[in-house]
Amino acid sequence: MKIERKTMTAEVPSLAMGDIAFNLLIFFVILARAHDDSFLNWKPAAAKDLQSAGHAKVSVLIDTDAKLYLNGQEVGVSQLSEQIRETLGDAPPGERNVLLKVHRETPAQRFEPVIEAISEAGGDMVHILEEEGE
Amino acid sequence: MLVEPPSTATGDIAFNLIVFFLVCASVQPDAGRRQTIPRSETKSEKTPQTEHVEVQLTRGSVAINGDVVHRRQFVPRLKALLAGKVRPEDKVVVVKSKPEVPYHHWITYTTLIEEAGGIITVLREEEQEVRVP
Repeated sequence: MKIERKTMTAEVPSLAMGDIAFNLLIFFVILARAHDDSFLNWKPAAAKDLQSAGHAKVSVLIDTDAKLYLNGQEVGVSQLSEQIRETLGDAPPGERNVLLKVHRETPAQRFEPVIEAISEAGGDMVHILEEEGE
Repeated sequence: MLVEPPSTATGDIAFNLIVFFLVCASVQPDAGRRQTIPRSETKSEKTPQTEHVEVQLTRGSVAINGDVVHRRQFVPRLKALLAGKVRPEDKVVVVKSKPEVPYHHWITYTTLIEEAGGIITVLREEEQEVRVP
């Protein structure tokens, strides 16, 4: 007597898909936030004829309280040059973009040392601004 | 009658909410202006230095080589001073800012300097600590 094999269908429970997607999203959001400065408060200066900033490994920001951040982490101006140099590594010219986001009312005594540090680290500085008249 | 939302939809609702907040959060300016500032040298140069154009910025005014100029006259004046200078090192414009000069004022004039064909160099006022005995 031949016993027929039972065929069993194994399906992924579709009910869990939402939860899986949700957890994955949270994971990637947290990962992205670690190098993000979107939560910081600043208002850009206005200028005409702006170009696209392009991709950058490094983002330096001075917020409304004149605090300095490198890729979302607060740093001192004395460590800035070294940390930018480390992040940029041996990247060739053209891939050494450093986005500089400075709150429009920040005084020169605060932002000039930052500009100097970026220049010393060999970064290609891109001032992030907003289009005039917006 | 108590009508409850179907529990199977909560995952989708959460997903859509997160996407919505992510899109809202990522609306940031990504346009800007590239600026090249020469790296400062630690060694002192022994070669005779050419006289560079100097731009002094204060909170409400701007001066070229000590003469206060109006914004409209700024570019033509600078162009005239840089005319005839061929080598890049001769086109260096030294920008001296008072400590209180706001960033928006600084970016306006450094942009105009580049428009006029100048190469920006920042000269900072040295901080000096004075101790009273």
